Amino acid sequence: MAQTRQIAIYGKGGIGKSTTTQNLTAGLVERGNKVMVVGCDPKADSTRLLLGGLAQKTVLDTLRDIGEDIELTDILKEGYKGTRCVESGGPEPGVGCAGRGIITAINQLERLGAYTDDLDYVFYDVLGDVVCGGFAMPIREGKAKEIYIVASGEMMALYAANNISKGIARYAKKGGVRLGGIICNSRKVDREFDLVNAFATELGTQLIHFVPRDNEVQRAEIRRKTVIEHDPQAAQADVYRELAKKIEENENFVIPKPLTQDRLEEILLEFGLMDL
Amino acid sequence: MAKKINLEMSAVENREMRLGTIIGWDGPASTLVKESNYIERSQRFEGIKTSGCAGGCGSKKACKLCELNSPLNQQTMCANAIVECQIGNITDCILIQHAPIGCSGDNPWFNLAFNMGLSRRNKPPQALKIYSTNLLESDMVFGASDKLRRTCRTVFEREHPKAIFISMACATAIIGEDIDSIADEMENELGIPVVPLHCEGFRSKHWSTGFDVSQHGVVRQIVNKNPVKQKDLINIVALWGTDYFTPLLKPLGLRVNYMIDMASFDELRQASEAVATATFCNTLGSYMATALEQEYGVPQIDAPQPYGFKGTDEWLRAVAHVVGKDDIIEDYIKSEHERVLPKVNELREKFKGVKGFVMTGSAYAHGLITVLRELGIDVDGSIVFHHDPIYDGAGVHQNTLEELVNTYGDIKNYTVSKTEAYQLSNIFNRIEKPDFVIIRHQGLAPEAAKLGIPALAMGDEHIPVGYDGLIRTGEIILDIMARKKFNRVLSRHIELPYTDWWLSQSDPFLLSHDPKALDKVVPLENSVDYEDELDEAV
Repeated sequence: MAQTRQIAIYGKGGIGKSTTTQNLTAGLVERGNKVMVVGCDPKADSTRLLLGGLAQKTVLDTLRDIGEDIELTDILKEGYKGTRCVESGGPEPGVGCAGRGIITAINQLERLGAYTDDLDYVFYDVLGDVVCGGFAMPIREGKAKEIYIVASGEMMALYAANNISKGIARYAKKGGVRLGGIICNSRKVDREFDLVNAFATELGTQLIHFVPRDNEVQRAEIRRKTVIEHDPQAAQADVYRELAKKIEENENFVIPKPLTQDRLEEILLEFGLMDL
Repeated sequence: MAKKINLEMSAVENREMRLGTIIGWDGPASTLVKESNYIERSQRFEGIKTSGCAGGCGSKKACKLCELNSPLNQQTMCANAIVECQIGNITDCILIQHAPIGCSGDNPWFNLAFNMGLSRRNKPPQALKIYSTNLLESDMVFGASDKLRRTCRTVFEREHPKAIFISMACATAIIGEDIDSIADEMENELGIPVVPLHCEGFRSKHWSTGFDVSQHGVVRQIVNKNPVKQKDLINIVALWGTDYFTPLLKPLGLRVNYMIDMASFDELRQASEAVATATFCNTLGSYMATALEQEYGVPQIDAPQPYGFKGTDEWLRAVAHVVGKDDIIEDYIKSEHERVLPKVNELREKFKGVKGFVMTGSAYAHGLITVLRELGIDVDGSIVFHHDPIYDGAGVHQNTLEELVNTYGDIKNYTVSKTEAYQLSNIFNRIEKPDFVIIRHQGLAPEAAKLGIPALAMGDEHIPVGYDGLIRTGEIILDIMARKKFNRVLSRHIELPYTDWWLSQSDPFLLSHDPKALDKVVPLENSVDYEDELDEAV
C-alpha cells in the first residue's frame, strides 16, 4: 500500500489557502483518494466548505471543555464524500499561545490514532505566517514532507512566499521536507502568470497550477460548498480537478533557493509593476 | 490484543490519560478500591469495551475516577525533576536539559541522592551527569536549536558518553523546539543514541509521568533490539535503594539488573535480555516492565509486591515459576520464615498498641503499610501522593491497594494528595496522633516532626523489602520512636505558619469541599498584625 502523502499548504494570510485546499481536496476525493484535512489556524475555517458549515468543534475547544479524555469522534468529522476534517483551533486572539495550540492539537491527533494507514493524503492548512516554532509543527520530522505555497501576483504574496521558502530551506537541510510548487490563486494582477512563473523558476520550483479568478468560487463558498460539489459542471470545477491531477502526478520536489530582497523587487519590476 | 504501550511515539502518553491517575481523594481505602474498578479497567486494557463510572459522578465516559480539586497547591515536583533524578543518574550517559537554568535547580540535591545511591550499590562516587543549555531571553525569541546542537557536540567531546538524552522544559515546549529532529540529526552525526524526552512540566498533573518518560526513552532507544537471553538475569526497576534483592533472589540463581538509577548504559541495554522484570513499587516499575514484556517478551511478575510474609511468599513463587524453580521455592520460603520469625515476633511484642502513619508514593505506601501491619502496628491513616486506579501491567495480582485491604483490613482515613504540608495538621486532628510517621519525601518529614510526631525520612526505599525488610523496618522504627520526647519539645517551640482557624480544622480538603470557606474566615487580620509588626520594627 502506498504511503500517505502528508502535505502542508502555506501562504500569505487571505490568499485563499483554505479555499484552494478544500477545492483541491474535493478534486482528489473525486479521483478516489481518501483525504484528511487538518486546519492549523485559530480561526478554524479550513474545513467549512467540506463540512457544509462551521459546525465542527475544534480540538482545542474540545480539550478546554471536556479535558484530555477525549475520543477521536469528538474532534474528527466526516465531510464531503468521507473526507475527514479536523480543526486544531486556538486561543482567543491576544491570549495564550496559538503556536503551542497547534503542537498540542497535532499530538492529540497522533495519540488518538487519526493517522490511519488507509489515508492517501493528509493536508495541513496552516495560518498565513510561520511566526513561531508551533506553526512549523506540520513540517517536522515524520509529518508533511511536501509543501505547496499559495501565492498571487501581488507583491506581498510573493514576499510572504519567499519568506516561507526560507523556512522550508532551513528545515529541508535537516529533514526530508521539500517544496512541491507554487499554486497561483489569481488576483487578476497584470501579467500575473508570467510573474509568478518567473518567481517559481527563480526559487528553483514550478508554478504547478494557475487558478484563475472566478466568481463561481464565491458562489459556492456562500453555500458552504466546494465548487466541485456546488456545480460539478462549472469550468472552475475543472480547474480544481486539473490541480488535483497535477498534485497527484507531481514528482518535482526541491529545496527552494529563496531570493534576496533586491532580486525579488527586480522580478516584480520586470514583470508585474512595469506600467505603474 | 491492543498494545498497552505506544512506543511508536517519542512522547509518552500521560499517566492520567493511560491509567486515570488522580491527585485528590479522601475516604476509606476500601471505597477507593471499589471506585478504582481495577478489573473493569484491566478488561479495557485488553480491548474489551466496558462502560460506567463506579464513582457515581454520572460521567458517561467510562470509568473516570472522581477526584477532589484543590484550589491550593503548596508544593510539588514535575516530570522534569523526575527525569533529572532518573536519566541524570545513569553513570556513563549525559542528560542535556534544554531549558533555562532554573529547571536545573533540583540538581544539587539530586547529586547527593545519586551519590548515596552509588555508595549503597558499591559503585564509585561521581558527579551527576547533567548539562543545561542555559537558555536566555534571546534564545526564547530566536529559537535555541543551534545551542542544543553545540551542547550535544561539547558534551560528546568532553564526556565521551555512551548516549545523550535531551529533556524538554516548559519554555522549550512552548516555543516549539523540535528536539526529536535534533536528536535524530545528532545521533547520525555522533554515532551514539541521542534520546529526546518530552517531560515539560505542564504536560502532566503528576510528576510520576516523569518515570514513564524516562523509561519510554530507555526502552525505545537504549535497550538491545537483538537480545541474547541471559537466563540468570532479572530486571528490578528501582530507585536508589540498597541491594537487598540480590540476597533475596540468589537462592533462585538470579543476578539482579537494577534500572534506571545508578545503572550504566550496558546494564540498561541488557534489559531486553533478562528472564523477567519485577519492581519494588508498581507505581515506578509497571511501565518499564510492560514495555519490555510487550516489545521483547520479557515477562513481568504478576504478583503482590514483595512486602510482609504473604506478599514476599507470593512474589517469590511467581519469580520462581517464571525461571522454572518451582521445585525449590517452598523449601526456601519455609526456611526464610523460620529464620526471621523469632525476631519478627520479638518486634511484634514491642509494637503492641503502637500506631503508625505512612506518607509516601502510592504503591510503595501499600507495601510499607503491609510491613507495619505484619509487625502488629496499627495504621488507620495514610497519605499517598497520587493514585493509579490501575497499573500498565494490569495484572490480576498487581492490584496493590486491594491486596492490602483484603489481606490486612481497611484504612479508615486514606488520603490521596500531593506533598501538601498544610494538610498535615488537619489530618492529625481527625485521627488519634500516631506514635510515628514514615515519609519518603524528605522535605515533609520535618513538617511532621514539628507537629511533635517522630518522623522517619525513609531515604533507602528497599528497607522494608522481603522477609528481612520486616526486621529492618521494625528496628528503625524503634529508633525513631525513641525520639518521642525530642519531638514533643520541638513542637512546643515551633510556630507553624498557619492561622489558628486552619489548625483547628479536621478536614484536609476543606478548601475543596467548601471553596468559599477562606472568604468567610480570612478578614486579613493577620496582615494587620503583620503591618503592626513592621511598624514596631521600624
